[in-house]
Amino acid sequence: MNAVLDLLKRPLVVALALILLLLVVGELLSPGFASPTQIMRLLIVAALLGIVAAGQNLVILGGREGIDLSVGGVVSLSAIIAGNLMNGQDAGIPLAIIGCIATGALFGLANGLGVTLLRIPPLVMTLGMLGVLQGLLVVIRQGIPSGRAAPGLSQFVTQPFLFGLPGIIWLWVAIGVLLALLLSRTVYGHRVYAIGSNEQAARMAGVPVAAVRVSLFVLSGVFAAIAGICLLGYSGSSFANVGEQYMLPSIIAVVFGGTSLAGGKGGYTGTMAGAMMLTVLTAILTTVNIDESGRQMIFGATLLALMLFYGRGRAMRA
Amino acid sequence: MAKLKISGVSKAYGATVALSRGDLELEAGEVHVLIGSNGSGKSTLCKIVAGSVKPDAGEVLLDGKPVTVSGPQAAKALGIGIFYQELSLAARRTVEENICLPDLPMRGPFVDRRALSEKAARYIALFDGVTGGGFAADATVDVLRADQRQLVEIMKALATEAPVLIFDEPTSALDRAQVDRFFEILRRLKAEGRAMVFISHRMDEIFAIGDSVTVLRDGRTVGTSRIADTTPAEVVRLMVGEEQAQAAPAAAAETVKTDGAGPVGLAVSALAGPGFAGVSFAVRQGEILGFGGLHGQGQSSVLRALFGALPLAAGAVTLKGGAYRPHSPRAAIRAGLAYVSGDRGRDGVIQGRPILENVTPIHFLRNRLTLARPGPLRDKATPAVEALHTRFAGFSHPIGSLSGGNQQKIVIARWLIDRPDVLLLDDPTKGIDLSAKADLFALVRKLAAEGMAIVLYSSEDAELLANSDRILVFNGGRVTRELAGADRTRFNLYEAAYEAA
Amino acid sequence: MVDAVAKAPRQAGGIRRFIERYPFVPALVIMLVLLALNGIWQPRSVSLVGITGLVKTYLALMLLAVAQTYVVYAGDIDLSAGAIVSLVNVVIVAFMAAMGGSAFSVIGAMAIGLGVGLACGIVNGIVVAAFRLQAIVATFATSIFFTGLALYVMPVAGTPAPATFWRTFGARYFEIPFVFYAAVLLAVILSLLARTRLSLQLLAVGDDAQGAYQSGLPVTAIRIRGYALCGLFAALAAFCVTGDTASGDPLVGGKMTLFSVAAVVLGGSALAGGYGTVVGSVFGALIIGLINSLVYFVGTPSEWQNLVQGLAILVALVAGILIGRRARA
Repeated sequence: MNAVLDLLKRPLVVALALILLLLVVGELLSPGFASPTQIMRLLIVAALLGIVAAGQNLVILGGREGIDLSVGGVVSLSAIIAGNLMNGQDAGIPLAIIGCIATGALFGLANGLGVTLLRIPPLVMTLGMLGVLQGLLVVIRQGIPSGRAAPGLSQFVTQPFLFGLPGIIWLWVAIGVLLALLLSRTVYGHRVYAIGSNEQAARMAGVPVAAVRVSLFVLSGVFAAIAGICLLGYSGSSFANVGEQYMLPSIIAVVFGGTSLAGGKGGYTGTMAGAMMLTVLTAILTTVNIDESGRQMIFGATLLALMLFYGRGRAMRA
Repeated sequence: MAKLKISGVSKAYGATVALSRGDLELEAGEVHVLIGSNGSGKSTLCKIVAGSVKPDAGEVLLDGKPVTVSGPQAAKALGIGIFYQELSLAARRTVEENICLPDLPMRGPFVDRRALSEKAARYIALFDGVTGGGFAADATVDVLRADQRQLVEIMKALATEAPVLIFDEPTSALDRAQVDRFFEILRRLKAEGRAMVFISHRMDEIFAIGDSVTVLRDGRTVGTSRIADTTPAEVVRLMVGEEQAQAAPAAAAETVKTDGAGPVGLAVSALAGPGFAGVSFAVRQGEILGFGGLHGQGQSSVLRALFGALPLAAGAVTLKGGAYRPHSPRAAIRAGLAYVSGDRGRDGVIQGRPILENVTPIHFLRNRLTLARPGPLRDKATPAVEALHTRFAGFSHPIGSLSGGNQQKIVIARWLIDRPDVLLLDDPTKGIDLSAKADLFALVRKLAAEGMAIVLYSSEDAELLANSDRILVFNGGRVTRELAGADRTRFNLYEAAYEAA
Repeated sequence: MVDAVAKAPRQAGGIRRFIERYPFVPALVIMLVLLALNGIWQPRSVSLVGITGLVKTYLALMLLAVAQTYVVYAGDIDLSAGAIVSLVNVVIVAFMAAMGGSAFSVIGAMAIGLGVGLACGIVNGIVVAAFRLQAIVATFATSIFFTGLALYVMPVAGTPAPATFWRTFGARYFEIPFVFYAAVLLAVILSLLARTRLSLQLLAVGDDAQGAYQSGLPVTAIRIRGYALCGLFAALAAFCVTGDTASGDPLVGGKMTLFSVAAVVLGGSALAGGYGTVVGSVFGALIIGLINSLVYFVGTPSEWQNLVQGLAILVALVAGILIGRRARA
């Protein structure tokens, strides 16, 4: 009995069980919801959120109220840049990837330097950066024609590639494996947890705290940029503020994956499940026949109910 | 009938037992001293009475009636006031706001600022003349010095006007004049019939102000007596236990053998920084140099500054014959320095992470590793951890599953995979059990015998006397006395520590 | 044991002490500089008409920044503040439309609007303080719920507010625009609130929640009250939005949330809690407004305006934090 209870306390197990439950509920409400093609579509949508959440996850793990509100802006910017650089031609893909990742890294670097060198709280720094990104989007949209995704990219995101699954899902799995290894099997990973759990102790143990923290923000920008490229492939062409929808959901996916907003606790595997769970939940609400208002209310209430499972704060009186 | 009677209260945090059986009987009109070494459960007992810790078992009787102290608010209503050792002040609020915060004077819907100032002024006036420069009713607490903050917490506790007052180490940062004034106030409150609990580590204070004394050891009450009927030696014997009182001299005898005359490992001249100045000394390889004196006289700051964790204002440091400038812990580790803090929660333990991750960070840095392969790391870590007789279930278990003593052993084991040249120990045994202490000091002596240069600061004089070859006594941020050879006696140590700087 | 080395007292300098007591001073200075710059580039902007326009447009953000400040005092945050504005906006517009837009319906609608704001605030408070959920994610979830409610009340934007309502908001009495009376009333309310026990308790909780709890303060209840106050001020902000836009829109407030947070930070309050002023947040909201108008007045090409505004706000946020820290260090 106790073993079962312990198992139920593991966020990953909870998330996977809830995903299954949601799929069953979805199938009952609307037959065909859990068909293989539908599940594949859900996986693609979840991968987009999951890749954004990867960077968010790292920044949050690094602690000191780490959070990146600018990810949505970077996703939008990256989608636009990628669209313009490739402009419907496969030959433009490499340049687009390099350009987008460099842009994402640059904004991440700016965030990271603001947070470490100037000691601006991450929430404030990335909120300000979000404003800059949104302004930049307006400029770019006015100045250059809206680009299109290269056919190869669209194929990568939407068409089966290996074992019937599209390339983006394999990319997501690869990111998952790489991050799991990075966090558990490298010195860098240990240092991320160390600064997130106890920054002072980490410093006393010789961890280059500032450098690690800056690198987390850079990675967050890079992952958001990758997600932006994929999003372009998914939708075919870039449009205004496509990334905005990822800002807060990326944080929720991380929380549902069992990573503590206080830092130092959690990992990416759970976040992947969290992203899937959010995606399935959203999909159920779009399939059932209720209007937008009911959908939003149920979504908000469900999020709250789920949060009660996770990371409730410590009581004042222990 | 006792004013307050606590019987059989206990509290455990997971595997760690903070208090196994606390008993206390407090009379009205007395100052009841609670004494015990660090981690013996005094603070936990006080917090249970004050409502901020929930006991697992036990009974609290107030005026003979059983009461449940369901929280600090309930304690306030029952007439129990407390001085918290870690202070409960709002740093950005003013002195007067802090004093009145638990019970703000109101005028209709608004805070009555005038009444608030007047009320606070009454308590501030009690310490008139000893509060020191920069202290003002409208100063925010974050600009005050440690002793001044402690005074504010005292005033805050007094302002509750509670019949039962608990003071958990209220004098640790106070100077002599402030302590004297505080004791005058306590005597006056005693005459008013208040019941007070007083915790202090200073034996002279205890005998100056106490009426009765209760001793705690390893989480349980081991005895209570009238101050008039006991002696300091008797209290110490109760504190450390029968077997320990006899074991100590044997250990001391052993240290004499480690007196080495190797080359100088670490030399420091005219060092100055936050809280210390003009500190010079040299430690030879194979020598254990002790830092003594009352708590907070600059010992810890010197060690932290040498490790690059505090800025140095002046002075020169030579490490194994070469010039060394500490500017970060990272650089210090690379240069061959090691530092173990007594505040393992703040400086040492990476909470929530596996034991293995807590042992290996120094190894990573010294060897510039990038991959962390658990197998080889376990092989490296095992001898380091075993050298301290650490009891643990497995390297993958979280460090929080260990007792405090074993956690500290893991933190120390960090430094044993790749041996440093100089080991700085900053009160390393704070809050850990006796057997862990014994293991730790056995290792420290062995490391010295193998040629490591060691600086040991300990807030427990017995430890210092038993384990150091020489002792520098700190007072007011300066070294005021050096005790070597036969001079290393408790008497000399006390005398040097307590003399006015 | 006393020694000059060990206990060198920290000198409380004049400027430090001044800023400690009035944390909004850097914001005030930045605001005045921006106002002067606005005047240089567009003299009419500092005329009565210009200032009226500014206050009329940004009164809602000022109120929402004040709302946000009360939760930030206690170290919390409310990402649903904008959604509350939307909800109250559609509720009062729908109510007034249903009641025929009489003066009585306006007063009834405002009472209901305040009730809705208060209820939303209490829900947030319970979720964050009593259920102990992380404020950022929990109030994001409630913001989705409140938006759903707003969509239920009014699925599409466009229902007009009765003329009595927005005419009053834009009217002049004794040659003085209505919004100035509102601003003066706001100043009075804020100064009264600053003297209440709750303000002090919220700050103490934000400073050190454990310490406040150990001092016997009802920490959970205090935080819930902070959120309740936030909800009330969000409702007031909704009244201004309604007066300014003259219609109901279930998504009108969404974009205001993050600006309210930015205004709080610009005003010199610490997001970590325990330190700040509501006046500063009002200045913070005006700084955002003045940056926006200045960018327009200096003739920035329209497509560049957002970028320049974004950069200017980022610079102001960073500069404000650095100046504040410098002054207190």
